[in-house]
Amino acid sequence: MSWETVIGLEVHAQLSTNTKLFSSASTKFGSEPNTQVDLVDLGLPGVLPVVNKDAFKKAITFGLAINADINQESTFDRKNYFYPDLPKGYQITQMTLPIVEGGSIEINVDGNIKTINITRAHLEEDAGKSIHDAYPDKSVIDLNRAGTPLLEIVSEPEISSAKEAVSYMKALHQLVTFLDVCDGDMSQGSLRCDANVSIRKVGDSELGTRTEIKNINSFKFIEKAINFEIKRQIKVLENGDKVIQETRLYDSLKDETRPMRSKEFANDYRYFPDPDLLPVIISDDEMDEIKDSFPELPNDKSKRYISELKIDENEAQIISSSRELSIFFELAVDSESDPKLAANLLVGEIGSLLNKDNIKINESNLSSDNFNTLLKRISDGTISKKIAKTVLADIWDSGKDADEIIKNQGLVQIQDESIIQDIAQKILEANPDQVAAFKAGKDKLFGFFVGQVMKETQGKANPKSVNDILKKLLS
Amino acid sequence: MDNKTVETISYLARLKLDKDKKDKITKDLENIINFVDELQDINTDDVTPLANPLEKTAPKRKDFVNSKDRKEVFLENSPQSDQDYFIVPKVVE
Amino acid sequence: MSIKYKTLSELKELLEKKDISSFELVEETFKNISSSKTNSFITLNEEVALTKAKEFDQGECEGDLAGLPIAQKDLFCTKNLRTTCGSRILENFIPPYNATVVENLSKAGSICVGKTNMDEFAMGSSNETSYFGAVKNPWDLERVPGGSSGGSAAAVAEGLVCAATGTDTGGSIRQPAALCGITGIKPTYGRASRWGMIAFASSLDQAGAFARNAEDCALLLNHICSHDEKDSTSLSNDKENYLENINNDLKGKKIGIVKEFDISNLSKEVQDSFEQSKKIFESLGANFVEVSMPNIKLSVPTYYVVAPAECSSNLSRFDGVKYGYRAENVNDLEDLYIKSRSEGFGDEVKRRILIGTYVLSAGFYDAYYKKAQQSRRMIKNDFVKAFSEVDVIMSPSSPSSAFKIGSKTEDPIEMYLEDLFTISSNLAGVPAMSIPHGFSKNLPIGLQLIGNYLEESEILNFAHQYQKNTDWHIRNPDSGDNS
Repeated sequence: MSWETVIGLEVHAQLSTNTKLFSSASTKFGSEPNTQVDLVDLGLPGVLPVVNKDAFKKAITFGLAINADINQESTFDRKNYFYPDLPKGYQITQMTLPIVEGGSIEINVDGNIKTINITRAHLEEDAGKSIHDAYPDKSVIDLNRAGTPLLEIVSEPEISSAKEAVSYMKALHQLVTFLDVCDGDMSQGSLRCDANVSIRKVGDSELGTRTEIKNINSFKFIEKAINFEIKRQIKVLENGDKVIQETRLYDSLKDETRPMRSKEFANDYRYFPDPDLLPVIISDDEMDEIKDSFPELPNDKSKRYISELKIDENEAQIISSSRELSIFFELAVDSESDPKLAANLLVGEIGSLLNKDNIKINESNLSSDNFNTLLKRISDGTISKKIAKTVLADIWDSGKDADEIIKNQGLVQIQDESIIQDIAQKILEANPDQVAAFKAGKDKLFGFFVGQVMKETQGKANPKSVNDILKKLLS
Repeated sequence: MDNKTVETISYLARLKLDKDKKDKITKDLENIINFVDELQDINTDDVTPLANPLEKTAPKRKDFVNSKDRKEVFLENSPQSDQDYFIVPKVVE
Repeated sequence: MSIKYKTLSELKELLEKKDISSFELVEETFKNISSSKTNSFITLNEEVALTKAKEFDQGECEGDLAGLPIAQKDLFCTKNLRTTCGSRILENFIPPYNATVVENLSKAGSICVGKTNMDEFAMGSSNETSYFGAVKNPWDLERVPGGSSGGSAAAVAEGLVCAATGTDTGGSIRQPAALCGITGIKPTYGRASRWGMIAFASSLDQAGAFARNAEDCALLLNHICSHDEKDSTSLSNDKENYLENINNDLKGKKIGIVKEFDISNLSKEVQDSFEQSKKIFESLGANFVEVSMPNIKLSVPTYYVVAPAECSSNLSRFDGVKYGYRAENVNDLEDLYIKSRSEGFGDEVKRRILIGTYVLSAGFYDAYYKKAQQSRRMIKNDFVKAFSEVDVIMSPSSPSSAFKIGSKTEDPIEMYLEDLFTISSNLAGVPAMSIPHGFSKNLPIGLQLIGNYLEESEILNFAHQYQKNTDWHIRNPDSGDNS
């Protein structure tokens, strides 16, 4: 029996706005519980929602990036249900007329490019947090998160495997972080995924019964949860049973999905347009403003790095695919510094240091200004590339200014050819056997002489000059 | 308006009707629905539903934080809470 | 000197002339309230009110309404002062903030003496559904004052205060004003902020005022109406001075009589008063024009879909979790919800929540809510057309005078029909007011004036001119003149 998988993903991205969707409370993560709750967020009697302009800006930016249609008139609906972390007893969402419709995302799975179409992306408010293990017989509620703006991105059921699902999530992650729409911190819950999974016999046109796995918050778990669910559903069907349409949770400790507690009566959300909010109109002027501030996307950036800045393709891809790295890079490079060199160091030395310390470039001690200085000192010959690496290591630890380090440690490159000549002469006179061997044909010994000169000058001699001078002296 | 329907909508609204009042309320609901069913007879083809009498559209707020920390007030005035949280009976997911 | 039945303007003059101090005013107000039998107040604000009165007397307060005691309907959130909405579920609720309407009136210097009784969550036309007991009509204590703002109407009608706020969702200011023989006004939807106004039906609710005459209402409206950034439905039109045009000439003005408002089956007294009032306006130079509003008969069924639907959702926040009543001895979360809400809400509220839940439930949205909003547009269009032909529309405010307490509580639909004349203006969002214009069975009846969008000044003008030429608004329960 040959089975094929049909997966649709609903991703909730917390928008990186300063305030909530309908109130001006802060959305900052990690604050003391219930300290970022506005009167509106608590759902007190008499409070009213006022929509956040920036939330729309970010939603539209996302829509434009995926080539979707933007509904310049969109509306909000109420989704009614009872849960302790839902203060008003309803969630304000966009069911009927969402801000974004259509669009697509390209994913790359083991070299194969596939387009996944997007059904819609809409704005809605997040609920608060319920914590169930603070007390044995009670649950507790923190409403800091209540009201945070979410962009719910719904894909068409065109994903065919757990691997594709992960690729899709990664592509989405890169896009939303790049666009500064969402900070993408999955451990903090900024990006959460619900997976709708069903299977059917190969060749069948009808979709099988699907289950929904809710709130998966890491790439690894997405893959595992979906794979488990596929296997489970296949087993069910092969046994002659039917797959039950239900909501399931992924248990990462046991690596399995299990059904959520089912309700006695199916939830009827009784959607209707929210009478406290009116249709939201995005004017043509506002659209132009958003389009003008639209950031350059990774692919376009990469192409530009390669064609204009002559950066190596691999390095261009790496830098352009990270928002922080590309911002850092573009700030550090100017007319007096070499972009190729910058890219090289960024991906090489700096990349290693970032990995070692497990931080992002903007969390390091190296500022783009300082990096710019360092690059200039290499280009103008003050220091050699080799010395630059030690300066870099120093900056990494101390955060000190590049020029200060070069000065204090006397690392200025020796450019004066007469000095180098003297030292080279001395080295050659001190090693007559090696000179003879070299002249007899042992070419490799050239490196030895270079090394000796470098050692004598503590690495500060201009390598090119050393090479030229030694060649002359040995000829 | 049969019993099952009344039960379903009562549950959706998290309301429990006293046994002695249940019949009266069911009858009341039936009468009210019959009363409003008058609307079914009108022709509303091509009529846009009214969202707001003056066709107003939503104002948009600038994204600046402007809210007080009222944790103490909120928790003090809640039915049950501890230093940090609102408290409810244990919820099982 | 008795302050009972004095108008806002009269009291203001007394204060300015220092014939009386604000402290004396407030003190006597509380004395009158304590000896009143109408049950028009739920919570009194003695300490704060007397303090504010002293401040005025020491010259520390300014504003149009400075030093004047007024009452607030218990649907407006008043900071640190209990706000119940006439319900057990908010029996001990102390809001941490002020409604904008409350804030505005406070900034104008007025002194809130207390929160008035009302039908629970503004659902009712008789003030019999309050958890805190029915309000009695000061003209006849065995009769209802009307609702849902029954307490505010009774308080003004009894002369306890010269002014009170109310809210009007389907007639809840106009109908009690009529039944209590005083003046009440509801402005255009969106003219007054709904921030802090506990929501019943969001697209219909509007704040307004009760006073002894139209002039006083105009002054109150000057402060009640404002643009509020915190309310997305708040209109941003320029502020108006509603007193500016109140004395305009009515010559040549056209008054519309709605063909479809059949008053022929109302009592003879109601019909006679209506005819008399027409003559008064004719004598002032206005002409009467019959207007047809064919969809107005859909008003009551439309309202009883839209209002319950919106309220069923608005009242979901009362779940016993964050504030308000929580039942004791609950076994689990479901129990908490069901017990708290079932014990906290009264029958009429439960009825409306159930209707609302039903009409919004799966499969019914198109047939009910959407249909009702379409019907609403048709009613609005009728008004737009009518106002292209006339300046104001006139009708009785309610089908009859005050009925006996308990006489209409069996059949909810009978109660719903009390709102026959008033409901359409809420559905369309146009401003409307009620002024006293006679008696039926020795009880006051009211005349309704409906204006075009944003034309509060127009209807106040008509009302004021009428009151300059009649004395219905000067009668009171003690004057012994009920005919």
